[in-house]
Amino acid sequence: MTELTPDLWWLSIPFIVVLFLVLRAFNKKVQNGVLKSLTNPVFLSIAIIALLLVNLNLPYSQFASHSQLLSWLLEPAIVALALPLYQQFVHVRKNLLLIVSTCSLGIVNATVVAFVLSILFDAPTHLSASVAALSVTTPISLIVTDSLGGISSLAAVLVIFIGLLGGLFGFMLFKLATIYNHEAQGVAMGTACHAIGTAAALAEHPKTGAFSSVAMALSALLTAIIVPLLYPFLVNTLL
Amino acid sequence: MKYLLSSAIILLCLALAKLVIHFIGGSFPAPLLAMVFLLILLLSGALKEHHVKPCASPILNIMPIFFIPAGVGFIEHIGLIKSNWPFLASVVLLVPATTLLLVSAVMAYFKGKENND
Repeated sequence: MTELTPDLWWLSIPFIVVLFLVLRAFNKKVQNGVLKSLTNPVFLSIAIIALLLVNLNLPYSQFASHSQLLSWLLEPAIVALALPLYQQFVHVRKNLLLIVSTCSLGIVNATVVAFVLSILFDAPTHLSASVAALSVTTPISLIVTDSLGGISSLAAVLVIFIGLLGGLFGFMLFKLATIYNHEAQGVAMGTACHAIGTAAALAEHPKTGAFSSVAMALSALLTAIIVPLLYPFLVNTLL
Repeated sequence: MKYLLSSAIILLCLALAKLVIHFIGGSFPAPLLAMVFLLILLLSGALKEHHVKPCASPILNIMPIFFIPAGVGFIEHIGLIKSNWPFLASVVLLVPATTLLLVSAVMAYFKGKENND
């Protein structure tokens, strides 16, 4: 492994911050829906940094230890997610039971489908645990995957891919299924494709976007409750 | 002062959740339990939005930065990804497709396939 001069590793955090902010500013300027999904700033930041580390033969362990501060801040940020959850909660009280039920159904489906696929493909256990919590926003997926013994970094990348695919093709699926209801489309997008799907839903219709953000916030909470119980149950029952 | 109060509330919820998990045991993630604590405090009216917002809003605004280092960690598992790519590709395609169809179909059953407005 090439050793980067030690005094240059301190650049890890400023580099991540600047790269992300520049890419986010660029993404905000993009109008085209498909291009907007493809220029997702988190996806591009991860891809660029990964390419740099691999091509310059720099050890990930050094990068991780020098950007540890950012990973620590993820914990209080997850606690702060209670705020948007509360804000959305207030707006959907009359439909709450239906939305909570359908979100829960979506989360159970995502975990069961991923688990069945892991059996069909004879995937190793830690890989199976890595795909158990993918229909949720990345920070929650990271932490739930970690608690299940999966590879959280792999889950993070898969979650982003799922969001990108949902953002690109979700509305084509609704068209094929002849489902045009904004509430139905929004709740499905928020449950299955988290923030990236919600951005696509907002571009489609404000009402679709509103329901998508409600479903995304609820899914964060419901995934945290359902998946840590459901996954061990599936492992004990089906394996 | 409002920033201090707001960050103290968030950190206290996190500390309390870590204590609870420590004594109860189990692998439930403490930050998620802390999120539930804070949500309960907000819903019950014990805390108001303006108590939490000064620190929560900026931290949420830059939240994606916090999971970039973890996301890059997938390069440590490139061999595993290469040898299991058919499985991972199936997951990435089928998990969102089935979830989108199932959730939208159930919602449409109760709310109708078309828009009423």
